[in-house]
Amino acid sequence: MKVIEIKDVNKIYNSTEIKVHAVNGVSLDFDQGEFAAIVGPSGSGKTTLLNLLGGLDLPTSGKILIDGEDLSKLKSSQLIDFRLRNIGFVFQSYNLIPVLTAEENVGFIMALQKIDRKEREERTWSLLKAVGLGDRLNSRPAKLSGGQQQRVAVARALASRPKFVLADEPTANLDSKAAKTLLEIMEKLNREEKITFIFSTHDPRVVKMARRVITLEDGKVISDEVKKQSNDPENG
Amino acid sequence: MNDFQMAWRNIWRNRRRTLITAASVFFAVFFALIMRSVQLGSYDRMFKNVIESYSGYIQVQQKDYFDEPVLDNSFELDQGLLDLIASDPNVKAVVPRLESFALAAAGSSTQGVVVMGIDPQGEKEVSEVHNRLVRFKLTDEAIKALMNETLPERTKKLLKIFKNEAYTGTGRLMLDMGLSEKDTSDVLPVFRKYASFSNYYLEEEDSMSVIIGDGLSDYLGLSIGDTIVLIGQGYHGVSAAGKYTIRGIAKIPSPDIDNIVVYMPVNTARKLYGAHGLSTSAVIMMNNTDEKSLVATAGRLAEVIPESLVLRSWKELNALMVNQMDADNKSGMIMIGILYLVIAFGVFGTVLMMLAERRREFAVLISIGMQKHKLAGVVAFELLLIGLMGVMAGVIASLPVVIYGNINPLRFKGQMASMWEDYGFEPIMPTLMPDAYYLWQTVVVLIILSIAIFFSIRKIYKLNVIQSIKA
Ligand SMILES: Nc1ncnc2c1ncn2[C@@H]1O[C@H](COP(=O)(O)OP(=O)(O)OP(=O)(O)O)[C@@H](O)[C@H]1O
Ligand SMILES: [Mg+2]
Repeated sequence: MKVIEIKDVNKIYNSTEIKVHAVNGVSLDFDQGEFAAIVGPSGSGKTTLLNLLGGLDLPTSGKILIDGEDLSKLKSSQLIDFRLRNIGFVFQSYNLIPVLTAEENVGFIMALQKIDRKEREERTWSLLKAVGLGDRLNSRPAKLSGGQQQRVAVARALASRPKFVLADEPTANLDSKAAKTLLEIMEKLNREEKITFIFSTHDPRVVKMARRVITLEDGKVISDEVKKQSNDPENG
Repeated sequence: MNDFQMAWRNIWRNRRRTLITAASVFFAVFFALIMRSVQLGSYDRMFKNVIESYSGYIQVQQKDYFDEPVLDNSFELDQGLLDLIASDPNVKAVVPRLESFALAAAGSSTQGVVVMGIDPQGEKEVSEVHNRLVRFKLTDEAIKALMNETLPERTKKLLKIFKNEAYTGTGRLMLDMGLSEKDTSDVLPVFRKYASFSNYYLEEEDSMSVIIGDGLSDYLGLSIGDTIVLIGQGYHGVSAAGKYTIRGIAKIPSPDIDNIVVYMPVNTARKLYGAHGLSTSAVIMMNNTDEKSLVATAGRLAEVIPESLVLRSWKELNALMVNQMDADNKSGMIMIGILYLVIAFGVFGTVLMMLAERRREFAVLISIGMQKHKLAGVVAFELLLIGLMGVMAGVIASLPVVIYGNINPLRFKGQMASMWEDYGFEPIMPTLMPDAYYLWQTVVVLIILSIAIFFSIRKIYKLNVIQSIKA
């Protein structure tokens, strides 16, 4: 079943004298349960594409449908609500609200969704356990390492039970060990819970773990390959 | 985790910045309140003084008297009209007065004076001249004699500072002499012996005696029992002259009046000026003296007085003073305005810093699905909390100062005091008890705060999420 349909999407930045065609005629579909990496050289349009998928930005032309719903038809406050209900986000760094503990950061998004307290607590706890932070519930972000913060961010992204999670270079600021741990957790959640992950990366070891690799260059998709078999992370 | 908790934690994430912002609001509110309270307190006192010792709250006058205050514009004030006015529920007392100018002479000095013909009994409820008679006076001789007595060193020093000061009671005297309650029994007899003053109030039928202001007595060098000669122009141009014995000296809290006033029974004044049965005004004191009651009372009185007469409010009667106060008030407001402007810039500085620092965080929150209005609500709440902390601390800290200043007003001594008196002000600075002005100061701060809040909300609504996340 298709979660995301991208139909001939263009994004042109006109802000300066130079016209930048950041996304150039991209058409892609994503199915439920994918674990897809978007790769490509710097400036190839990865972030721009993810922003369009996340409804943070609107395409210059073309259509993005999420579960059949056209993002460009939504008003800005509806778009925020749409993101809350459908999309999980993991940013490169400083994802978390500094004044909230790990537990509260994860619970926060469910509070926005008006999920009742008991369910919130249970889910928060199981998610933080799943990302290996069951013992750091009461730590504030400043007390966590970069890798731990990113794992909290993943837990938060999943807390709202989104249709898919977008992660723009989630490992860019992590050392290779922390990067590997994070990816393993994501991969496990994908495999066991059927969570759809779409992430961009420069890191070849992360690329190896993806089951689908989409390569961009100058805003165009130059290759889109689906690996036949799920990778064993140990061999990565 | 509700919005309040989140806001609360946010304001303490940068403790120093929060404290500096709250402290600047605190100081602005604190100083503005004290300044305002002293300013308004002084006005209040000055107006009360002049109203209670002279003008009354409302006067009934002949139509033209206000523009041309001469005896020819006086009127016949009969008992019937006085009774009619007195029957109004808010009228405490009403007395006739005959007021005119004269030249006073004593020895070789002369001075222009205001002769006030008063009803000695009725005036007890109006200008209370009988309560203002001088009981003690620190004349040169008195001080000389007191210096030879056993008095505390401090008191001897203070004696010189308060040279020539007149006292209508022992309380002020003891205060100025730096004496406490327990010294009173030892020291007071000494002051009684050398510095006391025998004074008499006017009697209805006494056609030979007057009471003069303490300032006037100083100027003319006159004391009890001395003679004062008054020369002036009477009703319809007749000449007026009389010789009187000074029966009392009164300390009138308005220096403007104290320096020129001569009180005599109204019938004596009528005789002096050849104005039989005439009055220049009927002076009215009120029970409730707030603006609303005064206006209501004036409305009722206007219905009952004859057409040839008019009512003049204390504001009209003291127009010069009202104008002076208005000008002074405006300059005070400008000062406070500048104070608030400085504070507003300070608050804006910290708000801008806060917004810049948290731009990325706001962007993340909006990305993951927090509505802008909810986010704006949290931020507005934070600013409101910080602002209210400052306002409340300022209000609370100012209360003891203002209340103390009202009960124990700041008094000027020596040269400073005479300087104030030269300008026609009583040398005293009481504060005004907390009143509507407290509310206004708070409202002004809240307006500044709302501007900062409005600005923050706008910033949040205009936030470019993508750019901010990159940052
Ligand atoms: N707001 C903008 N205004 C103008 N041009 C922009 C803007 N944002 C991105 N671009 C341009 O669009 C192109 C794609 O940028 P994008 O950030 O998507 O690349 P990327 O693949 O994420 O690169 P990186 O790997 O360095 O993160 C670049 O040429 C960039 O300069
Ligand atoms: Mg990028």
